[in-house]
Order: sequence, then C-alpha cells, then structure tokens
Amino acid sequence: MVILQAVSGIVVERAEPGVEVIIVTGEHDISTAPELERRLEAALDSGHAVVIDLLGTTFIDSTVLRVLICAREQASERSVGFRCALGETTGHGVRRLLELTGMAGRLQAVPTRADAIAGAVAPGHA
Amino acid sequence: MNGRVFDTTMTSRSSGFELELAAETDNVPLVRHALRGLLEASGVPEERIADISLAVTEACANAVLHAYPHSRGQFEAAAELSPAGELVVTVRDYGSGMAPRVDSPGLGVGLPVMAAIADALEIDTPGGSGTVVRMTFEVAGSAS
Repeated sequence: MVILQAVSGIVVERAEPGVEVIIVTGEHDISTAPELERRLEAALDSGHAVVIDLLGTTFIDSTVLRVLICAREQASERSVGFRCALGETTGHGVRRLLELTGMAGRLQAVPTRADAIAGAVAPGHA
Repeated sequence: MNGRVFDTTMTSRSSGFELELAAETDNVPLVRHALRGLLEASGVPEERIADISLAVTEACANAVLHAYPHSRGQFEAAAELSPAGELVVTVRDYGSGMAPRVDSPGLGVGLPVMAAIADALEIDTPGGSGTVVRMTFEVAGSAS
C-alpha cells in the first residue's frame, strides 16, 4: 500500500494497482470541501478507478455531498470505476444527510472498502 | 476599505453561547463545535446532536456562501438551551440575503435539511438588511 498524499482528514492511498482510495475521516464541511474536491479531481485525472472510503467519516454537510456526487458523475462520464464505502461505522450525521436528501443511491455505496475496490475495478462498472 | 473588523468574539454560558465571526468557511466548524460542547454537557443523545449539528452547519454555510458574494462580512450564531429542553439557534448575517448563486457550491438542499430537522424554522430579512435564521429544536425527552 502506498500513501500518496495526506492532509487533515483526507488520505489518498494506492490500495492496489489501478485503484486510488480516498479515505475521508472525521468531520468535513464547507471548510474542507474544496480540498476534497481537489483530491478527487486529481484521483479522477490519474485514470485509475476511484474509491471513496466514508467508513470513518463522522460528519458531512451538503457542500461535501455535492463534491461526492460530482465526482461520481465525472467518473461515469469518463467510464472510470467508482464506488463509495459507507457502512455502520459511518457517522449518523452522514447517513442522515443522505436519507434526508434521498441521494444515497447516487453514490454507488457498498458496505466495505473491499467491496468498493472490487466494484470499482470490475468490468462494466460504469 | 471594506470595514473588516472581524475579531472573533464569543460569549459563553452554561445555557448557551453567542459567536461573532468573519463570514469565512473556516469559521463554520467553530459554531458546530461550540454547539456540540453545549449539547454534550447537557446530556443530549449523540444522534440528536448529529442532526442538530447538520441543520446548524447548513444555516452557517448559507450565511457564508450567500450573504456576501462580492465582499467580506460577518455572521453571528447564538444558541440558548432552556431548562425545559428547548434549544433555539439563531444564525444572522448582514448581507444581501439568500440570493441564488449560479456558481453556488451547494446542492440547494440546505433549507430542506434545516426544515426537516428543526421543530420550527423561521427565516426573516429584517429591514432588508441581512438574513436571520431561527431554528428551534426540542432536545428534552429525546433520550431513549
């Protein structure tokens, strides 16, 4: 595993060849959304499949949700593999925002990082 | 030039706080953390704290994003928790109102999220100067 970049609460890992995993931990909101957007753009530009790990995310607001949804849409447009990992360890506030906005389905969420990596690299993902 | 004052000031009591902040994104988490401290000290359940944090963050993000599209400004956030368990949070700016922005970095879901979580939501534009968002949350008896 290679840690490519790390800033507060955002770590980018090359989990295996061809997949960049963006691990988002702690609280994220309008103050960190631009940095997350830059990391996701860089990951998408790399041409690798992209996994966003939200298993340790305790809080996001709607500006962060917008960044995640835009990343997913860009991945679709470029036919780049994409999944989010979202499970029981993901904070209540994150799941609540997805529930209230009805946007959980747009994130291609699966419950573990391994599932997300497998889904993102699988053929016919997009 | 543009009247930058913007020292952060905070008045805090066991029943609440008042914060005056520059309308900058880095200050949004400060409000959320002050609120969390108040609610944790009052024994409010974690899931309710998370919900209220979300509503208040959206209100602060609106103040920062929409109030001052062409200038710098300030916003205020105040919270008061009554002995009966009613939390009132007020977020106020002195800007140009919640005008839609074509370059908005939001999803347009902030207000519906606030309305879904708060037990009451009032939005006022007193004298056309700025926006006051007042949210009431029942926090007593939510422990189960």
